[in-house]
Amino acid sequence: MTTTHVLQPAAAGAPARWRAAPALRLLWLHWRSRRVPAAVLALAVCGGVLCAALRLQWTFNSGHFAQELPMIVEGGAAAVLVITTHSPFGEPERTASRWLPYLRLVTALAMTALAIGILQLSVTGASLDGGVLVLARNVIGITGIGLLTSLVTGGLLAWVVPMGYVAFAEYALLQSWTSPWTWPVRPPDDRGAWLCACAVYAVGLAAFTVRGARTRLADDS
Amino acid sequence: MTVAALSRYQARVLRIEIRRSVVLWSVPLLAALFFFDSFRTAAGFLPAWTARSSVITNNMIADFGPFAAGLAAWVASREGRRKTGDLLTTTVRPAWARQASALGATLFWLLLTFLAGVAALYVDTARQATWGGPPVWPVVVGVVEVITFAVIGFTAGALFPGRFTAPLAAIGCFLLATVGYHAATAARSGKGTPALLSPATTVPLGDVGVFYHVAPDVAIAQVMFMGGVTVALLGLLTLAPVFRISFRGLLAGVSRVGRWLCIAGVALLAAGVAASATAFSLAGTARLGISGWEIPALHDAASDQPIPYTPDCAGSSFKVCVHPAFSGFLSDANTALQPVAAEIAGLPGAPVRAEQVPSGDGVLGTQGMNFAGVPKPGLSGTPAVYRYISEDGLAPFWGSPAGADNASWRAGFQQDFLTAFVAGPPLAAGPGPDAAELPPTAAQQAVITVLMIKAGSVAPDFGEDMTNNGQPAAGATPTQIAAAAQRFSSLSPAARHAWLAANLPALRAGTTSLAQLP
Repeated sequence: MTTTHVLQPAAAGAPARWRAAPALRLLWLHWRSRRVPAAVLALAVCGGVLCAALRLQWTFNSGHFAQELPMIVEGGAAAVLVITTHSPFGEPERTASRWLPYLRLVTALAMTALAIGILQLSVTGASLDGGVLVLARNVIGITGIGLLTSLVTGGLLAWVVPMGYVAFAEYALLQSWTSPWTWPVRPPDDRGAWLCACAVYAVGLAAFTVRGARTRLADDS
Repeated sequence: MTVAALSRYQARVLRIEIRRSVVLWSVPLLAALFFFDSFRTAAGFLPAWTARSSVITNNMIADFGPFAAGLAAWVASREGRRKTGDLLTTTVRPAWARQASALGATLFWLLLTFLAGVAALYVDTARQATWGGPPVWPVVVGVVEVITFAVIGFTAGALFPGRFTAPLAAIGCFLLATVGYHAATAARSGKGTPALLSPATTVPLGDVGVFYHVAPDVAIAQVMFMGGVTVALLGLLTLAPVFRISFRGLLAGVSRVGRWLCIAGVALLAAGVAASATAFSLAGTARLGISGWEIPALHDAASDQPIPYTPDCAGSSFKVCVHPAFSGFLSDANTALQPVAAEIAGLPGAPVRAEQVPSGDGVLGTQGMNFAGVPKPGLSGTPAVYRYISEDGLAPFWGSPAGADNASWRAGFQQDFLTAFVAGPPLAAGPGPDAAELPPTAAQQAVITVLMIKAGSVAPDFGEDMTNNGQPAAGATPTQIAAAAQRFSSLSPAARHAWLAANLPALRAGTTSLAQLP
């Protein structure tokens, strides 16, 4: 089945739910090809780990170290969701579907929102240093780095640079850096940090939407 | 096919794997992380070997470990990702040989980068350190930890090949190191000591390994534990084909893997688990000692002996001495103490010398433990000697000696010196080793203030501690103390000296009130 076939207009006079169904089906097929269900499961695991870490006090409650473990989990969630940028079809997919950029955009946005939602849900009732604002900013910014990385390394290795950024942010956290580019270490209401994180995400999302993650003919799946 | 031919083929496969390894592309990222995190952190430490080498098992492992696990998982899951497992099963090379080559190539680049980082760190330290030599145990532990992280990731990738395995392995190891660090910092004698096996531990105090050797007990246990985990996982990898078949086909699976290989896998698994369990049990017996954490079954009492050294000293009538490892601080320490020593020269009990003593790995301060033979900080002996430690709260010997060249550092050093002379050892505010220390009395604070100002320094800051009923702990407000100090300061040097000579015992005992100051 091709996307052209899926997107054939519904027969005249058909109920509205059937007219909407092909688009949903296309989206679902796209998500399945990107292993989105497995990614949701991995995000749930990240949420569970964060929940356990906060409730069982695996790390410090206050000071610099309080942000350390949540930041790693948030980086992990971002790394997981950028893996879904990988396409198992490679180049042929690009030639066959004009809807691909929109599907990429919707998927990236939905996964980012889902990651923030799952992580926030997992810390409900627990004391998260910096709250949901820092959590959301970290996921957004690190996902942006991952999306940009996917243009160079391909989706499957797009986790490498976000992980490097998290490791660097750990150092910046302990050294109390104030640069807005080190947004994980900045307070929740820091405007510069928000601008930087959102700028990286916007650039990454735009580039990924237009170009997609790097693919090769014999790319790994 | 002869053994030599087999080795030649194996070496060729390894060469190809090394050339095409994905780790090679991560080397710039690892190098950047090493420079920004590990190297810069170490550069901020005192140029002493033990303090700086702690970066190897703390920062460097945090930088390398997750990538070692993630990239190894990526390499191991290659056959699964490319769905070439069945195809490769038909080749003459056994699965373990292919995996060994892939793991070997991954470890080659990881360890090469890691050891290059260690070399850069040690060369930089060698250029600045004034005493001692490069410790070997942190390097051994670091190498074993990198191998362990890589093998953990490799096993995860081989057993669960999938696109999410690599990042999850990396994140898992990152979390493991962070949680382990938290647990290790909370370890106390008799409580939570198995956490010392954690890859990352606390940064040691500046004088650890300077006055006494660092006991290698924990390092040995760490190598045993991590090595055990590695060996057990290698055994698991060897047995992996057996696990992929149903119970009914167990014998057929064993036959397919090879009987001797199965025996070797089981033996590796058992040996690894035994080694790790032994190390875990040994770490549970660890206790703090003069040379750091000691494990009785592994401890060599000879390492508890002090390391002989000749102190570096400055000054003539009043000598200021430091350990040669801290000789960079001698000039600043001498500049700080000579003026205040001159102010109290000739008074009863005035020290003739200031010398550095070991801080005992911080346990003196943090746990109230005192070790036999370790001189306590403060004034003691006849003639009196002022003993200080490098971990002084106001003027620590930490970071670059250039950082000590400032007025506040000198003032802190002077304040400690004069407080030890005028107020004696600090009194505890309550029972138990964790009780807070009482500040000097109001009269003592006034006298210390005057002596510091007359020595050309700034007025000390004692803070304003309050008692439970809202009264100043020192017995007077800072304004009242400043007024008394002003009064005492207006005396001539001879009169002030004479008053101090006559009233010093009462002042030290805390029985002199603010009003009794002339």
